[in-house]
Amino acid sequence: MLCEVCGKNHATTHIRSVIDGVVTEKNLCGYCAAKEGYTGFAQNGLADMLASVLGDVLASGSPVAENRCSCCGAKFSDIAQTGKVGCAKCYQTFYNELLPYLKRVHGSTTHSGKIPNRAPLVAQQQEETVDSLRMKLNELVREERFEEAAKVRDKIKKLEEES
Amino acid sequence: MGSWYCEQSNENPLVISTRIRLARNLSDIPFPSRMNEEQRKDLCHRVEKAVSESNSPFSKSLKFIDMKDVPENERFAMVERHVVSHGFVADNRTRALILSDDESISIMVGEEDHLRIQVLLPGLQLEKAYDIAEQLDTLLGDQLHFAFDDRLGFLTECPTNLGTGLRASVMLHLPVMESRGEIAALADSVGKIGFTVRGLYGEGTKAAASLYQISNQITLGISEKNALDNLKIITTQLVEKEQQEQKTLNRLQMEDLCMRAYGVLQNARMMSSEEMMKLLSRIQLGQRMGILNSPVSPIQLLVEGQPYMLMRRFGQMGADERDLYRANMIRDKFGS
Ligand SMILES: [Zn+2]
Ligand SMILES: [Zn+2]
Repeated sequence: MLCEVCGKNHATTHIRSVIDGVVTEKNLCGYCAAKEGYTGFAQNGLADMLASVLGDVLASGSPVAENRCSCCGAKFSDIAQTGKVGCAKCYQTFYNELLPYLKRVHGSTTHSGKIPNRAPLVAQQQEETVDSLRMKLNELVREERFEEAAKVRDKIKKLEEES
Repeated sequence: MGSWYCEQSNENPLVISTRIRLARNLSDIPFPSRMNEEQRKDLCHRVEKAVSESNSPFSKSLKFIDMKDVPENERFAMVERHVVSHGFVADNRTRALILSDDESISIMVGEEDHLRIQVLLPGLQLEKAYDIAEQLDTLLGDQLHFAFDDRLGFLTECPTNLGTGLRASVMLHLPVMESRGEIAALADSVGKIGFTVRGLYGEGTKAAASLYQISNQITLGISEKNALDNLKIITTQLVEKEQQEQKTLNRLQMEDLCMRAYGVLQNARMMSSEEMMKLLSRIQLGQRMGILNSPVSPIQLLVEGQPYMLMRRFGQMGADERDLYRANMIRDKFGS
């Protein structure tokens, strides 16, 4: 559903008010809701803002909108509408598109803090194969190529049993 | 060690609890809102395996719970005890919880991120809570290989948690600042430096029982240590301010307010949770000011008097009946 005020962004805020016994309902995007003074109850205010600013880009006909993440199949417009990223790979796929909004939300685009241990090299190679197979599996399932998917699943099982 | 609401901190009586939460995800499964049931089961299974094989001092005290096996009243009672989030129990898809005996450690599997590692301690214990969470993160991460990007840090479903994935919060009792209408201004000023103020159960600027949670909002570009240090500074300042303002209260008026609350708690035959929270907040303040010397912990009673906590104990019932059981429980505690 589109926002009733700007008609551009996805409506994420539903406002129901009763004035003199008359019920009025409004569906607004996070941005317009904030402009109209409906704030304070937006639990996911930041996600809302993200969705609304990303929505602006889409409305202006950005060509990136049709790219799909090769792992989960998400489009950039899905991320923009929900404020939710599809999978870890999406951050690589849509890195450039996301960057300006990360800057707006966090004031920064570079991680500072804990860096996890890297697994020892041998284990890492092993893991990478399982990982890449899992990604392939996701893709095959999404494309409903179940026979090939079953083979990949068997390979994963075998690899995991060996380890 | 008991649950956060059963332990009173003498050192810092204004700070009720400290919570650390780390958002973590696996790199080879889509984030939860795009996961199918099979992937959910796979996720729960892999996390369970990682916990049981981690061979750590923690793993002995941790139990694995399939949320499908938890009755509804107990699920929502867990929310009231802050063990899990409301979104986690309101969802009917496959989810699992890894919980320590004292409930200070809880790992939600399949919430908004694959894993939400939570450590919840009584009083102000930011470093200790973070240390525990960090150790768990390392232990599990070594086996599960959490999604991490050199530029963006730990990858999360919602970009608002990206980077450290850390949400640190402290819960404070601020009745005097609240009575003087200072909370909105507080929310405003901490908002400018990337922190947020919420009520005990997530409400906005008028919280139940004058309990407020302060937490960091920014997770990218700020290290865990910086976020924790800033929160500690804010907390210390708030504690000082509340204590200063407490000194300016009219003693006689406060004694009257506190003892009236005590009288009602000792005698009421029906009590709504709103009334209970309001009155117990006065007892909490009265105890701090040395007006009332009672061994009863208002915070413990306040949590045990929540609707699902009551039903978990006394069985399914309607609101009126709950008001009756609540009043009985409170009278029992205050011994009259
Ligand atoms: Zn709008
Ligand atoms: Zn993706």
